[in-house]
Amino acid sequence: MPSTDTLFRALADPTRREILELLADRSDGLPITEISAHFKVSRQAVTKHLQVLRRAGLLTVTTEGRERHCTVNLRPLKKIHDWVAVYQRFWDRKLADLGQFLNRKNR
Amino acid sequence: MSKRIERTIHYPHPIDRVWHAISDAAQISEWFIAADFRAEVGFHYTFTHESTIVRGEVLEVDPPRLLVYTWVVGDNPARTTVRWRLQATNAGTELHLEHWGFEQDPASAVAMFEASTKGWEAVTAELATYLDRSHAQH
Repeated sequence: MPSTDTLFRALADPTRREILELLADRSDGLPITEISAHFKVSRQAVTKHLQVLRRAGLLTVTTEGRERHCTVNLRPLKKIHDWVAVYQRFWDRKLADLGQFLNRKNR
Repeated sequence: MSKRIERTIHYPHPIDRVWHAISDAAQISEWFIAADFRAEVGFHYTFTHESTIVRGEVLEVDPPRLLVYTWVVGDNPARTTVRWRLQATNAGTELHLEHWGFEQDPASAVAMFEASTKGWEAVTAELATYLDRSHAQH
């Protein structure tokens, strides 16, 4: 399972989020040529984005004949969307903020 | 994974100071979240962060040691509970935070994500926080 950090970095780019949204509607996926046709950037650039998404576990790439085919996998997003995980990070940040607040207040 | 979040942290400050930081609306608003809050049993408070509204009811107050309130985010049906416990030590105050009740959330995370655009909103909100944090660290 890729780390949350890898996942966030993959999602940080707007083009990669657009790719995911494009694929999210198609359970049977799309060939790479068709994905890159949706974007103004070069096919190489799209391929790079697809690699980042694949490493984050958000894409599966399969070869069908001469064409490579991408299918989206949104399960890793569960990690971000898991309430307990979200709140664990939230409270860690907030308790650290409280410490800083108390230190400031003291001076 | 445990469904109860627990954190224990020590602050080198007197218990009264920590108590005011977690129970006084003006101070809560400074470090935690914009707050309409009174540490009185039965008080219905509102915390606001941008478009997110957290509401709840104060359940227990025992200054400067105990504060318990419910925590409900937006129109999400999950009614979670937050408990703050403070204990004076030789060097300051030990804070024990607990947050539980997540199992009442009926929607599985993935189903919720796939069913609505709210999934993206949650992801992008988390992402914004992450980017702010990692930016601040460099």
